[in-house]
Amino acid sequence: MKNMKITKGFSALLVTALVTTLAVVTPSAAHAETTCTKDVFTPSSGGSAVNFQVCTGTDFNGAKYEIRMPSKFNGMLFLYNHGIRGNHNMPKVPVIRPNGYVVDMSPEVAPGRTTNDQLLIAQELLKQGYAVAGTGVSTQGWSVPEAIQGNLQLISAAYEKFPKISKIVSWGDSLGGHISQALSEKADVIDAVANLHMAGSASSQYTYANDFLWMFKTFFDPTIKGNGYASGTAGYMEYMGDITKVLTAFGTIQAAIAANPIAPTWPASSTVPDSLKAIPVRSAVLLIGLLAGVPVQSNTYDASSGPAGPLETSFGLAISPALGVFENAFTALALALIGNYDAEVRCGGTIFDNTNTDYAARLGDNGDVYAAGLTGKSATAGMLAYLNKLNPAAPRVKGNPDSIYCIKSQQDNYSGKITIPTITISQTADQVTPGGFIQKFKELYAENVAAGSAKPGMLLNIWNKPPDTYTKFDAAGKPITPAIPTTGTSHFMYTNKDLLIIAKMLATAGKTGKLPSEASAKAAFKKNPNIFIDPDYKPELMFADR
Amino acid sequence: MKRFSIVSAVVALGAMVFTALPAQAAEPGLTSSEIKLGISTPLTGTAALSYGKIPGAMKAYFDFINANGGVYGRKIKLVVRDDKYLPTLAATQTTNLVLKDGVFALVAALGTATHSKAYAAASLATKKVPDLFVNTGFSGFGNQAKYPTTFTVLPSYAMEAKIISKFVKDKFPGQAVALVAQDDEFGVDGVNGFAAGSLTLASKTLYPQSSMTDARAKALVTGLSAIPGKPVVILFGTTDVTALIFKAAESLNLVSKFTWIAGSVGGDANTLLALGVKTTTIDGAIAASFFPDAKDTTDEYVAEFSKINSKYNPGVTFDNVVLQGMNSAMLTVQALRAAGKNLTRAGLIKAIETKGSTFASAGLVPLNYSATSHLGYNGYWMGQLNAKGELKPYGGTLSVVTTDSTNGPITPSTYMRPSIPKNGIPTNS
Repeated sequence: MKNMKITKGFSALLVTALVTTLAVVTPSAAHAETTCTKDVFTPSSGGSAVNFQVCTGTDFNGAKYEIRMPSKFNGMLFLYNHGIRGNHNMPKVPVIRPNGYVVDMSPEVAPGRTTNDQLLIAQELLKQGYAVAGTGVSTQGWSVPEAIQGNLQLISAAYEKFPKISKIVSWGDSLGGHISQALSEKADVIDAVANLHMAGSASSQYTYANDFLWMFKTFFDPTIKGNGYASGTAGYMEYMGDITKVLTAFGTIQAAIAANPIAPTWPASSTVPDSLKAIPVRSAVLLIGLLAGVPVQSNTYDASSGPAGPLETSFGLAISPALGVFENAFTALALALIGNYDAEVRCGGTIFDNTNTDYAARLGDNGDVYAAGLTGKSATAGMLAYLNKLNPAAPRVKGNPDSIYCIKSQQDNYSGKITIPTITISQTADQVTPGGFIQKFKELYAENVAAGSAKPGMLLNIWNKPPDTYTKFDAAGKPITPAIPTTGTSHFMYTNKDLLIIAKMLATAGKTGKLPSEASAKAAFKKNPNIFIDPDYKPELMFADR
Repeated sequence: MKRFSIVSAVVALGAMVFTALPAQAAEPGLTSSEIKLGISTPLTGTAALSYGKIPGAMKAYFDFINANGGVYGRKIKLVVRDDKYLPTLAATQTTNLVLKDGVFALVAALGTATHSKAYAAASLATKKVPDLFVNTGFSGFGNQAKYPTTFTVLPSYAMEAKIISKFVKDKFPGQAVALVAQDDEFGVDGVNGFAAGSLTLASKTLYPQSSMTDARAKALVTGLSAIPGKPVVILFGTTDVTALIFKAAESLNLVSKFTWIAGSVGGDANTLLALGVKTTTIDGAIAASFFPDAKDTTDEYVAEFSKINSKYNPGVTFDNVVLQGMNSAMLTVQALRAAGKNLTRAGLIKAIETKGSTFASAGLVPLNYSATSHLGYNGYWMGQLNAKGELKPYGGTLSVVTTDSTNGPITPSTYMRPSIPKNGIPTNS
């Protein structure tokens, strides 16, 4: 198995913050000077050469921004927000960062799966007469206030430099989607917004990741610290030590599953009783995934298919869902470790608290649906008992109230007060931003509509699902990890074709002030069998949002 | 303002036009000439061996009805999707049936884990999609707050366990009893039923689905053989596991050591024989049923359905599974008829609630449908298999009993089964 394949979206998570205080930046209409150079390209999609200006600057908070303005400008600016990035340099770390990492402060002006795709999307928009822009943000990590400030200063600079701007539409992916949404609710200059696999609230995202991390360490290596790092260098060393321990435990489990997927053994670092170790470790992985909210479908595993032969059905029933969680979980672990360190530095203490979390109550119908994968109800009960808060061998995490407040209340979370056309597109099996976050967003919007603080008919949710079945096996019956991430999974960034359809919808919505109808949106994606629009589709809320 | 007025007028006119249309114009999967139904069920995989015949049997019956005028002139089209009896795939396929295929209603879905996941994933409650005659005995589907559009057809596993408990206590007093059950909601429903039936167990073995192997089956049977006397062994699992345990007993020469009772889910003789169990092993095994035996051609339902099967499902042997499929199809036709010519999803659900208990069916026990109960049959009779795989009433006399899923009494049934509609074609309204 090649479960640890690093994707573009995932790699963006893999650094930490050095921000020592929460910087609440004062809005400013002023900005540094914007300098422009002329450029030209020949569109890959055909047509004559496109002349445009590349304008860059640095705002008063130190964020770099970029505007690309076509010579034949139609008046609309596409404002893009990139996803989360690390805020710390990182040395070379096997699997996570084999080449190390240097904090990236550069602006991005368009979404895309690769740098080249981003360039092509930007060029296609420029060809159609749209300007594109983005801010690099003054601070990386989970930094919504700074990102909003960066956007506002960028908008100010753009208006000043290009007075012909008459419409601004905003889009972003992952945390960038969250930022675009929060910006659109706060700034009355955005005409429409499109959020690509949008992140949930900081609190909910961190709870999701930390729940998994806590259960992972409780089952597989209780020496993992996870939270409450010391200050300064000592804390950084603790954090790096955790990365090593998690990688070791993860790798050991991965090897055990590869050697014997039916009855893989627990890692030696586990201190659970032998009675639990008699349960295949994959069942423990599946359980903690279900209790945290990790999807069972992943890039490789569809939770249904099995290799031809006697294991065909039982693999799909009992093994594949666990392996799907396992493949997805690595991202949750990375988000927890890296995000926790970043957030603890930013907020001055432990941001997670599970002292009263009733994990057993979370299982619900999943205990029946995945009974085979969990090795039956008796085994499930045993594992749940070990996670109980009364078990002294499974001490809970006590959070710092001020730090929790910092994460919950000082991040400018979106509120669902939607007054302009708003489009979301998300994966049904996204392991970084599971669909439950969008369900919460829908519910916030519905509450605001009911309260009269949002306009009805302004939210369109588009979903991207995996194919019905997709796991492939080699001749020996081993699963094959796809070279290109499976659509609908993996925090998958959309194809250029899909992104341009969304851009077209966004532009039309920005011009007219209206959402595309459900029928026209379906028609736009009719050639993509994995895109669906169903207002009744209701993914389960993430546990922190219930 | 002028533009606004024109738009408003167009909208108002549109609303009038749509209001004037028959209600069914807005119902998915319904035209003036067709009713589109969907089924998600295993066509491949291990469960297909037992249940893969259900969609074919249903389609055969619908084809027969279509050839005889359909339902108020509408032909029934059955869209079949293979879920391999896997929860995630069942969720996918059920969603496909609703969103891609646009079915009017779902029929005869199979399984508890599969269908509970599918029901939520496909938003069946929100969409108010009728979910008819689900093939499971899990009593949890009786929760109408959670499954408002679902009607199950099988008696609950808890009912079955209670009835088996009474049977064992009455017929085998003093014999030790061992229970072997699946360690999930199906088995636990049964375990709870055995507890409600006050059956004392000398041994209880719970195993996760798909975990039973030849070696484990042999170890299990060897362990059970240590129980003194001739223990009663109740197998409350799927047919493939019943077969594994029977074959383990055969290889250990321990078949005659036990009195075997197979639950309704795992006791289909044809499937057991197809899985390699010897005829001498099933000869004498005890099983529970709520249907007539499929080999009993003196039964009018069996006779009529066999005829339909020969013509519309050629090459497929008529057995208990085919009987079950055709019976569910006939219930479906009656439900559609009872909902009337002006068919709607809401009307269909209402029709089953108000008239479903009177539908003609092959079941020897009553249907339990009402506004407050969406559970189907509510009783069993106990029989004994012979070497031909025929299930004959235990002791030679048919004794049908009814009960509920909790602590209600087990009572002899006074149910008089309605005659099969003339020529097998329902004419109810």
